[in-house]
Amino acid sequence: MTHRQDPLRKQDPPREQETARPPAALDTAPADPLPAGTGPAGGEPVGGEPAGTGPTGTGGAGGRDGGAAGVAPSPRLWSPRRVPAALVALVVLVAAGAALYDVVAVRAGRPASAWRRTLADELATRTTGDVWMLTGAAVAAAFGLWLLVLALTPGLRRLLPLHAPTGDSPVRAVLDRHGAEVLLRDAALRVPGVGRARVRVRRRIKARADVRFRDPRQVREEVAGALREERDRLALVRPERVSVRVRRAR
Amino acid sequence: MKPRTTTNRILLALAGLLLLGGGLLVLTAGLDLYRRWSLGPPSGWPLTGPHDVLLGAGDRERWSSQGWWWWPAVIAALAVVALLALGWLLAQLRRPRPGRLPVWGTSPAGEPEEGVEVRDGALGDAIAAEAAGLPGVVQAGARMSGRAARPEARVDLALGTGASPRETLRALADGPLERARRSAGWRRLPADVRLRVARHGPRRAE
Repeated sequence: MTHRQDPLRKQDPPREQETARPPAALDTAPADPLPAGTGPAGGEPVGGEPAGTGPTGTGGAGGRDGGAAGVAPSPRLWSPRRVPAALVALVVLVAAGAALYDVVAVRAGRPASAWRRTLADELATRTTGDVWMLTGAAVAAAFGLWLLVLALTPGLRRLLPLHAPTGDSPVRAVLDRHGAEVLLRDAALRVPGVGRARVRVRRRIKARADVRFRDPRQVREEVAGALREERDRLALVRPERVSVRVRRAR
Repeated sequence: MKPRTTTNRILLALAGLLLLGGGLLVLTAGLDLYRRWSLGPPSGWPLTGPHDVLLGAGDRERWSSQGWWWWPAVIAALAVVALLALGWLLAQLRRPRPGRLPVWGTSPAGEPEEGVEVRDGALGDAIAAEAAGLPGVVQAGARMSGRAARPEARVDLALGTGASPRETLRALADGPLERARRSAGWRRLPADVRLRVARHGPRRAE
């Protein structure tokens, strides 16, 4: 047993070595030198004291110590659906409150209020074939369908999940879709000959570029290459395909 | 998914099913689909044709002539529904914060230090201040979420031009987040990071 423990201990502390870096889609320079040098307040280097990983550092749920082990895809964020929930709660509250008030008032010997009598009369006289009933039913069904869609879909479509550092303290990261578009546009504009560029990130990364000089076909190739490179630098979980259209600008 | 998310989604789905079911019930009866498609609705089905009404005379009669317990039961049910709706509504307006967080000592026993705590806001501000100094980061905000026993960090970063999300994330995880975790002595500090890009005009190489 002692033989087995020793190599394990040796492997754990030196986290800077990055032995466990997966090859997945990581081709540009890793950020390893950053953490040691960038502490603005002059904090201690991260891998400096292996003893300081916390009192229960090795009894891990993840089993692997250290935050700088590798990257993993962040899960899709699920919207809390706060606004629709608040609206539905408000409607239910108002309806139940009004009904409660009126029922109690009637029990206390006062006459039922006008809205309740009207509602009961309408419901008792209008048949289901009545156009108002049909309209109301259609609206209710559509609204119900919309609520179901809200309940079952993740939402937050403008946040793109990213590959993020894993370990005992996993990071879940997302990038704003518009932010991705801006970074990709900047990459396209760095290609010589591109005058204006417009990038949209949808099912695929669509770029339109105006070529001011140079051969448009060559510019197109280079823009596509620059976009692919920038896309890989973004570390998107779903790296969409790049398509470029160029136009010669006068 | 966080538990509150699940609650919201289950209740929304329930409301959606009720509305959709009720609407379809009335629509099928009103458009006389049972007869047109020669379907026989089950016996005792409430609405079968375009000449039915939602609230029949029989229903009104029946509901008005229940025993003494009927109206108290209705009142109680309405009160419960109204209170639950109120609670659900208030839960949307509130953002739960962990409050004071325990600081774990370096003692081998592995217990929280007695009487030493850190305010969630203070730790969030510390993370934000450090994150704002990372290369490529223009603006940073952070706050703590989760429960006091299992704190989590929520970080919002605005990147400048030319920033690399991957390198920024690595620097954030190894720098501010790691220092916050160690200074509080926690074993783990998961983080939710949202990146956006600060608005800037196009930069081109001429």
